[in-house]
Amino acid sequence: MADLKSQIIEQLNLQEVKPEDIGDDQPLFKDGLGLDSIDALELIVLLQQHYSIRLANPDQGPEIFYSVRTMATYITAQQKQPG
Amino acid sequence: MKIYIQGTGCVSPQQTAGAGPFLASIQEYEGNRLAAVEPDYKQWVEPNMLRRMGRAVKMGVAAARLSLQQAGITLPDAIITGTAYGCLQDTGVFLSKMVTGQEKALSPTAFIQSTHNTVSGQIGLLLSCHAYNNTFVHKGFSFESALLDSMMILQEGAVQQVLAGGVDEITDHSHTILSRFGLYKQEPVRNTSLLQSATHGTIAGEGAAFFVLGAAKSPQSIAQLAGLTTIYKPVSTEERDAAIQGFLATHGLRSADIDLLICGHNGNVEENDTYAQVAQTLFPQTTVAGFKHLCGEYPTATAFAAWMAAEILKQQQAPQDIILSGSAPEKLDRILIYNCYQGTHHSLILLSKP
Repeated sequence: MADLKSQIIEQLNLQEVKPEDIGDDQPLFKDGLGLDSIDALELIVLLQQHYSIRLANPDQGPEIFYSVRTMATYITAQQKQPG
Repeated sequence: MKIYIQGTGCVSPQQTAGAGPFLASIQEYEGNRLAAVEPDYKQWVEPNMLRRMGRAVKMGVAAARLSLQQAGITLPDAIITGTAYGCLQDTGVFLSKMVTGQEKALSPTAFIQSTHNTVSGQIGLLLSCHAYNNTFVHKGFSFESALLDSMMILQEGAVQQVLAGGVDEITDHSHTILSRFGLYKQEPVRNTSLLQSATHGTIAGEGAAFFVLGAAKSPQSIAQLAGLTTIYKPVSTEERDAAIQGFLATHGLRSADIDLLICGHNGNVEENDTYAQVAQTLFPQTTVAGFKHLCGEYPTATAFAAWMAAEILKQQQAPQDIILSGSAPEKLDRILIYNCYQGTHHSLILLSKP
Protein backbone atom coordinates (compact mmCIF):
# COMPACT_ATOMS: atom_id res chain seq x y z
CA MET A 1 0.00 0.00 0.00
CA ALA A 2 3.02 2.30 0.48
CA ASP A 3 3.67 2.19 -3.29
CA LEU A 4 0.05 3.00 -4.01
CA LYS A 5 0.16 5.97 -1.65
CA SER A 6 3.27 7.29 -3.43
CA GLN A 7 1.54 6.85 -6.79
CA ILE A 8 -1.53 8.74 -5.56
CA ILE A 9 0.65 11.59 -4.26
CA GLU A 10 2.51 11.83 -7.57
CA GLN A 11 -0.58 11.54 -9.77
CA LEU A 12 -2.51 14.18 -7.82
CA ASN A 13 0.52 16.40 -7.16
CA LEU A 14 -0.23 16.46 -3.42
CA GLN A 15 2.78 18.65 -2.75
CA GLU A 16 2.84 18.66 1.02
CA VAL A 17 1.57 15.14 1.69
CA LYS A 18 3.88 12.20 2.49
CA PRO A 19 2.85 8.52 2.12
CA GLU A 20 2.85 8.09 5.89
CA ASP A 21 0.37 10.99 6.20
CA ILE A 22 -2.32 8.92 4.46
CA GLY A 23 -4.02 6.36 6.66
CA ASP A 24 -4.81 2.98 5.09
CA ASP A 25 -8.50 3.37 5.92
CA GLN A 26 -8.71 7.17 5.77
CA PRO A 27 -11.42 8.35 3.34
CA LEU A 28 -9.79 9.84 0.23
CA PHE A 29 -12.62 12.25 -0.56
CA LYS A 30 -14.41 15.05 1.27
CA ASP A 31 -13.49 15.19 4.95
CA GLY A 32 -10.70 12.64 4.58
CA LEU A 33 -7.86 13.60 2.25
CA GLY A 34 -10.13 16.23 0.65
CA LEU A 35 -10.02 14.96 -2.93
CA ASP A 36 -12.62 16.07 -5.49
CA SER A 37 -14.18 14.93 -8.75
CA ILE A 38 -11.16 15.85 -10.90
CA ASP A 39 -9.02 13.75 -8.58
CA ALA A 40 -11.43 10.85 -9.12
CA LEU A 41 -10.66 11.05 -12.85
CA GLU A 42 -6.94 11.11 -12.07
CA LEU A 43 -7.31 7.97 -9.93
CA ILE A 44 -9.02 6.19 -12.83
CA VAL A 45 -6.05 7.20 -15.02
CA LEU A 46 -3.67 5.94 -12.31
CA LEU A 47 -5.31 2.48 -12.38
CA GLN A 48 -4.94 2.36 -16.16
CA GLN A 49 -1.35 3.61 -16.25
CA HIS A 50 0.14 1.63 -13.39
CA TYR A 51 -2.01 -1.50 -13.27
CA SER A 52 -3.62 -1.69 -16.73
CA ILE A 53 -7.01 -1.83 -15.04
CA ARG A 54 -9.93 -0.15 -16.77
CA LEU A 55 -12.83 0.66 -14.51
CA ALA A 56 -15.66 -1.28 -16.14
CA ASN A 57 -18.49 0.12 -14.05
CA PRO A 58 -18.18 3.81 -12.99
CA ASP A 59 -20.89 3.22 -10.36
CA GLN A 60 -18.29 1.22 -8.43
CA GLY A 61 -16.08 4.33 -8.14
CA PRO A 62 -17.17 5.52 -4.69
CA GLU A 63 -16.66 2.03 -3.27
CA ILE A 64 -13.29 1.38 -4.93
CA PHE A 65 -11.85 4.83 -4.24
CA TYR A 66 -13.10 5.09 -0.67
CA SER A 67 -9.63 4.58 0.84
CA VAL A 68 -6.17 3.32 -0.06
CA ARG A 69 -7.13 -0.09 1.36
CA THR A 70 -10.25 -0.38 -0.82
CA MET A 71 -8.21 0.61 -3.86
CA ALA A 72 -5.50 -1.94 -3.02
CA THR A 73 -8.13 -4.66 -2.50
CA TYR A 74 -9.71 -3.87 -5.88
CA ILE A 75 -6.33 -3.86 -7.65
CA THR A 76 -5.35 -7.19 -6.07
CA ALA A 77 -8.69 -8.75 -7.02
CA GLN A 78 -8.38 -7.55 -10.62
CA GLN A 79 -4.83 -8.84 -10.93
CA LYS A 80 -5.90 -12.31 -9.73
CA GLN A 81 -8.58 -12.55 -12.38
CA PRO A 82 -7.54 -14.66 -15.39
CA GLY A 83 -6.57 -12.39 -18.25
CA MET B 1 -13.40 59.84 -21.03
CA LYS B 2 -10.40 59.34 -18.72
CA ILE B 3 -9.31 55.94 -17.48
CA TYR B 4 -7.25 55.59 -14.33
CA ILE B 5 -4.91 52.91 -13.05
CA GLN B 6 -6.04 52.34 -9.46
CA GLY B 7 -3.70 49.49 -8.58
CA THR B 8 -0.92 47.40 -10.09
CA GLY B 9 0.67 44.05 -9.36
CA CYS B 10 3.65 42.43 -11.02
CA VAL B 11 5.53 39.14 -10.87
CA SER B 12 8.68 39.31 -12.95
CA PRO B 13 12.36 38.30 -13.02
CA GLN B 14 12.91 41.31 -10.74
CA GLN B 15 11.84 41.68 -7.10
CA THR B 16 8.51 43.23 -8.02
CA ALA B 17 6.01 41.18 -6.03
CA GLY B 18 7.29 42.03 -2.57
CA ALA B 19 6.91 45.09 -0.42
CA GLY B 20 10.41 46.46 -1.17
CA PRO B 21 11.14 49.75 -2.89
CA PHE B 22 10.51 50.03 -6.64
CA LEU B 23 13.37 48.38 -8.59
CA ALA B 24 15.82 49.27 -5.81
CA SER B 25 18.36 46.72 -7.01
CA ILE B 26 18.44 44.98 -10.35
CA GLN B 27 18.41 41.18 -10.30
CA GLU B 28 21.33 40.00 -12.45
CA TYR B 29 21.23 36.90 -14.63
CA GLU B 30 23.75 34.97 -16.75
CA GLY B 31 22.42 33.25 -19.83
CA ASN B 32 19.61 33.73 -22.31
CA ARG B 33 16.67 32.94 -20.02
CA LEU B 34 15.29 34.97 -17.14
CA ALA B 35 13.08 33.31 -14.55
CA ALA B 36 10.38 35.09 -12.58
CA VAL B 37 11.07 35.69 -8.91
CA GLU B 38 8.00 33.97 -7.55
CA PRO B 39 6.36 35.04 -4.30
CA ASP B 40 4.92 32.63 -1.73
CA TYR B 41 1.62 31.87 -3.46
CA LYS B 42 0.10 30.33 -0.34
CA GLN B 43 -0.74 33.81 0.88
CA TRP B 44 -3.38 33.99 -1.88
CA VAL B 45 -4.24 30.41 -2.84
CA GLU B 46 -5.14 27.30 -0.80
CA PRO B 47 -2.53 24.51 -1.17
CA ASN B 48 -5.26 22.18 -2.43
CA MET B 49 -5.86 24.52 -5.41
CA LEU B 50 -2.23 25.51 -5.81
CA ARG B 51 -1.20 21.94 -6.66
CA ARG B 52 -3.18 22.12 -9.90
CA MET B 53 -1.87 25.49 -11.05
CA GLY B 54 0.95 25.94 -13.52
CA ARG B 55 3.35 28.87 -13.18
CA ALA B 56 1.47 31.16 -15.59
CA VAL B 57 -1.69 30.76 -13.54
CA LYS B 58 0.13 31.30 -10.25
CA MET B 59 1.94 34.39 -11.53
CA GLY B 60 -1.29 35.79 -12.94
CA VAL B 61 -3.24 35.15 -9.76
CA ALA B 62 -0.51 36.77 -7.64
CA ALA B 63 -0.27 39.87 -9.85
CA ALA B 64 -4.07 40.16 -9.92
CA ARG B 65 -4.31 39.89 -6.14
CA LEU B 66 -1.57 42.51 -5.64
CA SER B 67 -3.29 44.97 -7.97
CA LEU B 68 -6.68 44.50 -6.29
CA GLN B 69 -5.06 44.94 -2.90
CA GLN B 70 -3.42 48.18 -3.98
CA ALA B 71 -6.67 49.45 -5.49
CA GLY B 72 -8.54 48.55 -2.32
CA ILE B 73 -11.21 46.50 -4.05
CA THR B 74 -12.15 42.83 -3.75
CA LEU B 75 -14.44 42.27 -6.71
CA PRO B 76 -13.85 43.81 -10.16
CA ASP B 77 -16.64 44.25 -12.71
CA ALA B 78 -14.64 42.43 -15.41
CA ILE B 79 -11.48 40.33 -15.76
CA ILE B 80 -9.56 40.64 -19.03
CA THR B 81 -6.27 38.91 -19.72
CA GLY B 82 -3.77 38.90 -22.57
CA THR B 83 -1.48 35.93 -23.10
CA ALA B 84 0.29 34.73 -26.22
CA TYR B 85 1.58 31.36 -25.06
CA GLY B 86 -1.08 30.51 -22.47
CA CYS B 87 -0.39 27.83 -19.90
CA LEU B 88 2.62 26.18 -21.46
CA GLN B 89 3.65 24.15 -18.44
CA ASP B 90 0.39 22.19 -18.40
CA THR B 91 0.39 21.97 -22.19
CA GLY B 92 3.85 20.38 -21.96
CA VAL B 93 2.71 17.95 -19.25
CA PHE B 94 -0.40 16.99 -21.21
CA LEU B 95 1.47 16.42 -24.48
CA SER B 96 4.31 14.52 -22.77
CA LYS B 97 1.85 12.22 -21.00
CA MET B 98 0.04 11.73 -24.29
CA VAL B 99 3.29 10.45 -25.80
CA THR B 100 4.44 8.32 -22.85
CA GLY B 101 0.93 6.94 -22.28
CA GLN B 102 0.63 6.13 -26.00
CA GLU B 103 -2.51 8.29 -26.20
CA LYS B 104 -4.42 5.90 -23.93
CA ALA B 105 -4.68 7.24 -20.40
CA LEU B 106 -4.56 11.02 -20.39
CA SER B 107 -4.34 13.21 -17.30
CA PRO B 108 -7.47 15.38 -17.11
CA THR B 109 -5.92 18.01 -14.82
CA ALA B 110 -3.14 19.06 -17.20
CA PHE B 111 -5.63 19.18 -20.09
CA ILE B 112 -8.12 21.31 -18.15
CA GLN B 113 -5.39 23.68 -17.00
CA SER B 114 -3.63 23.97 -20.35
CA THR B 115 -6.07 26.30 -22.09
CA HIS B 116 -5.20 29.95 -22.63
CA ASN B 117 -8.13 31.24 -20.60
CA THR B 118 -7.14 29.32 -17.46
CA VAL B 119 -5.45 32.38 -15.91
CA SER B 120 -8.49 34.62 -16.26
CA GLY B 121 -10.80 31.75 -15.30
CA GLN B 122 -8.88 30.86 -12.15
CA ILE B 123 -8.79 34.50 -11.04
CA GLY B 124 -12.56 34.63 -11.54
CA LEU B 125 -13.04 31.41 -9.55
CA LEU B 126 -10.83 32.56 -6.69
CA LEU B 127 -12.63 35.90 -6.47
CA SER B 128 -16.07 34.32 -7.03
CA CYS B 129 -16.38 36.89 -9.79
CA HIS B 130 -19.05 35.87 -12.29
CA ALA B 131 -18.73 39.03 -14.37
CA TYR B 132 -17.37 39.45 -17.92
CA ASN B 133 -14.25 37.30 -18.26
CA ASN B 134 -12.22 37.30 -21.44
CA THR B 135 -8.78 36.34 -22.71
CA PHE B 136 -7.01 37.75 -25.75
CA VAL B 137 -4.44 35.63 -27.58
CA HIS B 138 -2.91 37.83 -30.28
CA LYS B 139 0.85 37.18 -30.24
CA GLY B 140 2.61 40.51 -29.62
CA PHE B 141 -0.71 42.37 -29.26
CA SER B 142 -2.22 40.11 -26.58
CA PHE B 143 -1.80 42.53 -23.68
CA GLU B 144 -2.65 45.53 -25.85
CA SER B 145 -5.89 43.81 -26.94
CA ALA B 146 -6.80 43.15 -23.31
CA LEU B 147 -6.18 46.82 -22.51
CA LEU B 148 -8.18 47.96 -25.53
CA ASP B 149 -11.16 45.81 -24.54
CA SER B 150 -10.90 47.17 -20.98
CA MET B 151 -10.89 50.76 -22.24
CA MET B 152 -13.87 50.11 -24.51
CA ILE B 153 -16.11 48.56 -21.85
CA LEU B 154 -15.18 51.31 -19.41
CA GLN B 155 -16.02 53.90 -22.06
CA GLU B 156 -19.36 52.20 -22.68
CA GLY B 157 -20.13 52.79 -19.01
CA ALA B 158 -21.05 49.15 -18.54
CA VAL B 159 -18.52 48.65 -15.75
CA GLN B 160 -16.68 50.75 -13.19
CA GLN B 161 -13.60 48.65 -12.35
CA VAL B 162 -11.76 46.29 -14.69
CA LEU B 163 -8.98 43.91 -13.75
CA ALA B 164 -6.73 43.69 -16.81
CA GLY B 165 -3.35 42.13 -17.30
CA GLY B 166 -0.81 40.27 -19.37
CA VAL B 167 0.97 37.02 -18.60
CA ASP B 168 3.35 34.60 -20.28
CA GLU B 169 5.68 31.90 -19.00
CA ILE B 170 8.74 30.08 -20.32
CA THR B 171 9.14 26.36 -19.89
CA ASP B 172 12.02 24.05 -20.80
CA HIS B 173 10.01 22.85 -23.81
CA SER B 174 9.13 26.32 -25.08
CA HIS B 175 12.62 27.67 -24.53
CA THR B 176 14.10 24.80 -26.53
CA ILE B 177 11.60 25.27 -29.37
CA LEU B 178 11.95 29.07 -29.50
CA SER B 179 15.75 28.71 -29.37
CA ARG B 180 15.54 26.61 -32.54
CA PHE B 181 13.85 29.59 -34.22
CA GLY B 182 17.00 31.60 -33.44
CA LEU B 183 15.29 34.04 -31.08
CA TYR B 184 17.87 33.95 -28.31
CA LYS B 185 21.55 34.76 -28.03
CA GLN B 186 23.98 31.90 -28.46
CA GLU B 187 26.96 33.50 -26.73
CA PRO B 188 27.23 34.15 -22.97
CA VAL B 189 25.15 37.16 -22.00
CA ARG B 190 24.27 39.10 -18.87
CA ASN B 191 20.93 40.85 -18.65
CA THR B 192 22.56 43.98 -17.26
CA SER B 193 24.57 44.46 -20.46
CA LEU B 194 21.86 43.17 -22.85
CA LEU B 195 20.83 46.55 -24.22
CA GLN B 196 24.41 47.36 -25.24
CA SER B 197 24.72 44.10 -27.17
CA ALA B 198 25.54 44.20 -30.88
CA THR B 199 24.83 40.58 -31.76
CA HIS B 200 21.84 38.60 -32.99
CA GLY B 201 19.13 37.40 -30.61
CA THR B 202 17.75 38.40 -27.26
CA ILE B 203 17.00 36.77 -23.89
CA ALA B 204 13.78 34.99 -22.99
CA GLY B 205 11.60 36.43 -20.28
CA GLU B 206 8.35 35.84 -18.49
CA GLY B 207 6.03 37.39 -15.98
CA ALA B 208 2.60 38.74 -15.18
CA ALA B 209 1.39 42.29 -14.62
CA PHE B 210 -2.16 43.21 -13.73
CA PHE B 211 -3.93 46.54 -13.39
CA VAL B 212 -7.15 47.70 -11.83
CA LEU B 213 -8.57 50.23 -14.27
CA GLY B 214 -11.35 52.56 -13.27
CA ALA B 215 -13.43 55.28 -14.89
CA ALA B 216 -13.31 57.60 -11.89
CA LYS B 217 -10.29 59.27 -10.32
CA SER B 218 -9.76 58.26 -6.71
CA PRO B 219 -7.10 58.76 -4.01
CA GLN B 220 -5.71 55.37 -5.14
CA SER B 221 -5.22 56.53 -8.74
CA ILE B 222 -1.59 56.02 -9.73
CA ALA B 223 -1.69 57.04 -13.35
CA GLN B 224 -3.99 57.74 -16.24
CA LEU B 225 -4.15 55.31 -19.13
CA ALA B 226 -4.34 58.07 -21.71
CA GLY B 227 -4.01 56.21 -24.99
CA LEU B 228 -3.26 53.00 -26.82
CA THR B 229 -2.77 51.98 -30.41
CA THR B 230 -1.36 49.10 -32.40
CA ILE B 231 0.31 49.18 -35.80
CA TYR B 232 0.55 45.83 -37.56
CA LYS B 233 3.23 45.31 -40.18
CA PRO B 234 3.67 48.87 -41.45
CA VAL B 235 4.99 48.64 -45.00
CA SER B 236 7.65 51.28 -44.45
CA THR B 237 9.34 53.33 -41.75
CA GLU B 238 7.41 56.30 -43.12
CA GLU B 239 4.08 54.56 -42.47
CA ARG B 240 5.23 53.60 -38.97
CA ASP B 241 6.42 57.13 -38.18
CA ALA B 242 3.21 58.65 -39.56
CA ALA B 243 1.18 56.33 -37.31
CA ILE B 244 3.21 57.38 -34.26
CA GLN B 245 2.86 61.06 -35.12
CA GLY B 246 -0.85 60.56 -35.75
CA PHE B 247 -1.20 58.94 -32.33
CA LEU B 248 0.46 61.94 -30.67
CA ALA B 249 -1.72 64.36 -32.65
CA THR B 250 -4.86 62.45 -31.66
CA HIS B 251 -3.95 63.14 -28.04
CA GLY B 252 -3.03 66.76 -28.73
CA LEU B 253 0.65 66.16 -28.03
CA ARG B 254 4.00 66.98 -29.60
CA SER B 255 7.00 64.70 -29.10
CA ALA B 256 8.46 67.25 -26.67
CA ASP B 257 5.45 66.66 -24.40
CA ILE B 258 6.64 63.12 -23.72
CA ASP B 259 8.92 63.17 -20.68
CA LEU B 260 10.09 59.58 -20.96
CA LEU B 261 10.02 57.18 -23.89
CA ILE B 262 10.18 53.56 -22.78
CA CYS B 263 11.33 51.46 -25.74
CA GLY B 264 11.36 47.71 -26.25
CA HIS B 265 15.10 47.38 -27.02
CA ASN B 266 15.93 43.72 -26.54
CA GLY B 267 19.61 43.56 -27.45
CA ASN B 268 18.97 42.04 -30.88
CA VAL B 269 21.12 43.95 -33.35
CA GLU B 270 18.49 43.46 -36.09
CA GLU B 271 15.80 45.13 -34.00
CA ASN B 272 17.83 47.90 -32.36
CA ASP B 273 17.63 50.08 -35.47
CA THR B 274 13.83 50.28 -35.22
CA TYR B 275 13.98 51.79 -31.75
CA ALA B 276 16.98 54.00 -32.53
CA GLN B 277 15.19 55.42 -35.58
CA VAL B 278 11.98 56.14 -33.69
CA ALA B 279 13.81 57.70 -30.75
CA GLN B 280 16.22 59.82 -32.82
CA THR B 281 13.82 60.86 -35.56
CA LEU B 282 10.59 61.40 -33.66
CA PHE B 283 11.71 62.03 -30.07
CA PRO B 284 15.12 63.76 -30.34
CA GLN B 285 14.74 65.63 -27.05
CA THR B 286 13.13 62.88 -25.01
CA THR B 287 14.91 60.70 -22.46
CA VAL B 288 14.81 57.07 -23.59
CA ALA B 289 14.57 54.09 -21.26
CA GLY B 290 14.59 50.31 -21.74
CA PHE B 291 12.93 47.50 -19.81
CA LYS B 292 13.68 44.14 -21.42
CA HIS B 293 17.01 43.79 -19.59
CA LEU B 294 14.79 43.54 -16.50
CA CYS B 295 12.03 41.21 -17.72
CA GLY B 296 13.38 39.61 -20.90
CA GLU B 297 11.61 39.35 -24.26
CA TYR B 298 8.16 37.77 -24.47
CA PRO B 299 4.95 38.65 -26.31
CA THR B 300 3.27 40.36 -23.33
CA ALA B 301 6.39 42.16 -22.06
CA THR B 302 4.58 45.48 -22.55
CA ALA B 303 2.54 44.60 -19.46
CA PHE B 304 5.79 44.83 -17.48
CA ALA B 305 6.60 48.12 -19.22
CA ALA B 306 3.16 49.51 -18.34
CA TRP B 307 3.64 48.42 -14.72
CA MET B 308 7.06 50.11 -14.69
CA ALA B 309 5.68 53.30 -16.25
CA ALA B 310 2.83 53.47 -13.73
CA GLU B 311 5.30 53.05 -10.87
CA ILE B 312 7.57 55.76 -12.30
CA LEU B 313 4.63 58.17 -12.47
CA LYS B 314 3.66 57.25 -8.92
CA GLN B 315 7.19 57.65 -7.57
CA GLN B 316 7.97 60.60 -9.87
CA GLN B 317 11.37 59.08 -10.39
CA ALA B 318 12.91 56.89 -13.09
CA PRO B 319 15.55 54.41 -11.89
CA GLN B 320 18.98 55.16 -13.37
CA ASP B 321 19.37 51.50 -14.43
CA ILE B 322 16.68 51.87 -17.08
CA ILE B 323 17.93 55.07 -18.78
CA LEU B 324 19.42 54.44 -22.22
CA SER B 325 19.92 57.98 -23.44
CA GLY B 326 19.36 61.46 -22.09
CA SER B 327 19.27 62.43 -18.47
CA ALA B 328 16.74 61.49 -15.82
CA PRO B 329 13.69 63.66 -16.56
CA GLU B 330 13.09 66.56 -14.19
CA LYS B 331 9.34 66.24 -14.50
CA LEU B 332 7.36 63.10 -15.24
CA ASP B 333 3.91 63.97 -16.53
CA ARG B 334 3.70 61.68 -19.54
CA ILE B 335 5.36 58.39 -20.43
CA LEU B 336 5.05 56.73 -23.82
CA ILE B 337 5.80 53.02 -24.26
CA TYR B 338 6.82 51.99 -27.76
CA ASN B 339 7.30 48.30 -28.46
CA CYS B 340 7.87 46.34 -31.64
CA TYR B 341 7.48 42.60 -31.23
CA GLN B 342 9.51 40.62 -33.75
CA GLY B 343 9.46 43.43 -36.27
CA THR B 344 5.74 43.14 -36.98
CA HIS B 345 3.67 44.12 -33.92
CA HIS B 346 4.19 47.80 -33.09
CA SER B 347 2.33 49.25 -30.13
CA LEU B 348 2.08 52.54 -28.26
CA ILE B 349 0.77 52.91 -24.71
CA LEU B 350 0.49 56.40 -23.26
CA LEU B 351 0.38 56.94 -19.51
CA SER B 352 0.16 60.26 -17.73
CA LYS B 353 -0.12 61.63 -14.22
CA PRO B 354 -3.64 61.14 -12.84
